[in-house]
Amino acid sequence: MFDFIAYPLANLTVLLYSWLGNSTIAAIAVLTLLINLAMLPLTLSQQQSARKMQDMQPELEKLKKKYGNDRERMAQEQMKLYREKGINPMGGCLPLLIQMPIWFGLLAAIRFCIPSTPLDLFRFSPHIYNWLPGVIGLVPLQSTFLGMDLGQPPNVAQWWSYALPLLVGGTSYLQQKILSPSSSTASTAADDQSQAALMNRQMQIMMPLMFMMFTLNYAVGLSIYFIISNLIRIVQYYIINLVRKNGEQKQTSGKR
Amino acid sequence: MNRFRKMRWPLFLTVLVALLFGTSGCGGVQASSWTGMTLIDEKLYVADLQTIQILDVSDGTAVHAIPENSKDSFLGYFYVAPAVGDGYLIGAAQAPPRGFLAQAKNIVVKLDVETGAALWTFDEAKSPYIEGGVIGVTTDGGKELFVIGNGNGTVYALDVSKGDVVWTFEAGHRVWATPLIVDDVVYIGTMDRNLYALHLANGEEIWRFSAEGAFACTPALQNGVLYIGAFDNRVYAVDAAGGTELWRFPKNGNGESWFWGRPAVEDSNVYVVDVKGNVYALDGDSGEEIWHSSLGVPVRAGAVLSEDASTLLISSRDGTLFALDTADGTRKWVAEGDGEGYISPIVDGDTVYEARIRGTYRVRALELLEGGDGYKELWVFPVETE
Repeated sequence: MFDFIAYPLANLTVLLYSWLGNSTIAAIAVLTLLINLAMLPLTLSQQQSARKMQDMQPELEKLKKKYGNDRERMAQEQMKLYREKGINPMGGCLPLLIQMPIWFGLLAAIRFCIPSTPLDLFRFSPHIYNWLPGVIGLVPLQSTFLGMDLGQPPNVAQWWSYALPLLVGGTSYLQQKILSPSSSTASTAADDQSQAALMNRQMQIMMPLMFMMFTLNYAVGLSIYFIISNLIRIVQYYIINLVRKNGEQKQTSGKR
Repeated sequence: MNRFRKMRWPLFLTVLVALLFGTSGCGGVQASSWTGMTLIDEKLYVADLQTIQILDVSDGTAVHAIPENSKDSFLGYFYVAPAVGDGYLIGAAQAPPRGFLAQAKNIVVKLDVETGAALWTFDEAKSPYIEGGVIGVTTDGGKELFVIGNGNGTVYALDVSKGDVVWTFEAGHRVWATPLIVDDVVYIGTMDRNLYALHLANGEEIWRFSAEGAFACTPALQNGVLYIGAFDNRVYAVDAAGGTELWRFPKNGNGESWFWGRPAVEDSNVYVVDVKGNVYALDGDSGEEIWHSSLGVPVRAGAVLSEDASTLLISSRDGTLFALDTADGTRKWVAEGDGEGYISPIVDGDTVYEARIRGTYRVRALELLEGGDGYKELWVFPVETE
């Protein structure tokens, strides 16, 4: 379904592999970094939207108190508030939706490059860009890393491979915790009790658990991709925040 | 709101349990590889995922399947072509994980053809077997060995009588090709870009030939020359005695795509197909191109020759069987089919058997004719479940 994205990404992975001393891990890491950079405008817009939504939480709570029993009126007032603040309520979801095919394509690309079964490899084989310098003959990429088979799920013989799903869970939790609006600033008591806050807290546990379970049964290469991706997003978040805070400080000192 | 708060932990646990089950392999294994088949003594032994079906080639009916009760079998799914011996067969299966944190098992099993009983199993390899193994007999001592490559990069030689590991050979990457055993020598291509010659008796390396791309097919041997295609878009002719390169095709540069299928060899001609469906007839002595033709569809399997070597038969991924004239590569006929074809057809006299996955039938038998459409469908063996 996402082959039109997966084929170019797989070819880019092979090219990076040839440039980075035939290191599959380095190729996956750089590819993940490049994709995160390419999607930075969308991520920024997503984070900006989340921040705006978070800033208007007190006003939304007021509306809830006022119109909590009248759902229709509540919805009208909410929309009015969104318009006044210049917020698109879908602003947080749209960038996510746009990014989804790219992430699915990336997962497929990793499967193409380090396959454990032949059908994926065969599907990719006629789509290798032979005109790229140095890519002929490189696929399938070297699939061993620290004694683990990147194309296979963690297993008892390489017991240390189970550390990877744990790291996936850990970094996913950290990422959720940091990026989640309710945890990044002090929440109000009312906010704490809201359904959204409860859902949010459950998601903070559920999503990392889900990713951990998923990676227990899938190729180790995917775990490595998830870990790198989570770490990049965390670092990216801190850099964006740092830049934003510096900008705000400059603005404040300029006003003085 | 209160109702939601009361429900949240049961909801949470329900989703968690669902996730645990969902990720513990309870859903089974989909066809992630192609299925193989072997023709011996008027019987076709077909890896049918759930079982190995033994078909009577005269009408395509199942003589019987082993193991008979596949649902209760611990062996799981059969993909690769079985090696058939006297009253037994040796196949490779993948047993799906059963239970949380369980692992899929990759099992080589010797089965009694009559009773279906497992005579021995070997399940040490952690990766799937993609192609079947072959049985070889050492000239010194007459020991029967079953040699098979695994995705973990190891070539295993198992004692046919007991299933013990006699020797292993570690390649630097996955081994997805069926070995060729001739005169106490095992020739096997691997993904580490080497074609190896190993002593059958002990697995010691005799020589290796290195290319610039992976080898994933069985070499063809004729008059002391091994012919093999590689993932560097080239075909090589290698001296079987010393492992030196005799010629490569194309002579300079690389071809258009990978050569994954086994070459077909007849007299001094070599026929190869790349994964984009380009078919080449090459001079076996020099590697010069005689003709080339394009099928326009992806092809994984190698071409095979009709018994009189006048027709080249090629099974394509889209389920079509192509018949080309070996003299000039022109199309003689095309048999549209169902499902996807990934393995080379088997030719026996005037009959050709082709295997499919993801279709309504597993095997189709065609009779090759001189005139008319060029072929006549004899029977199909339907797929029960996939």
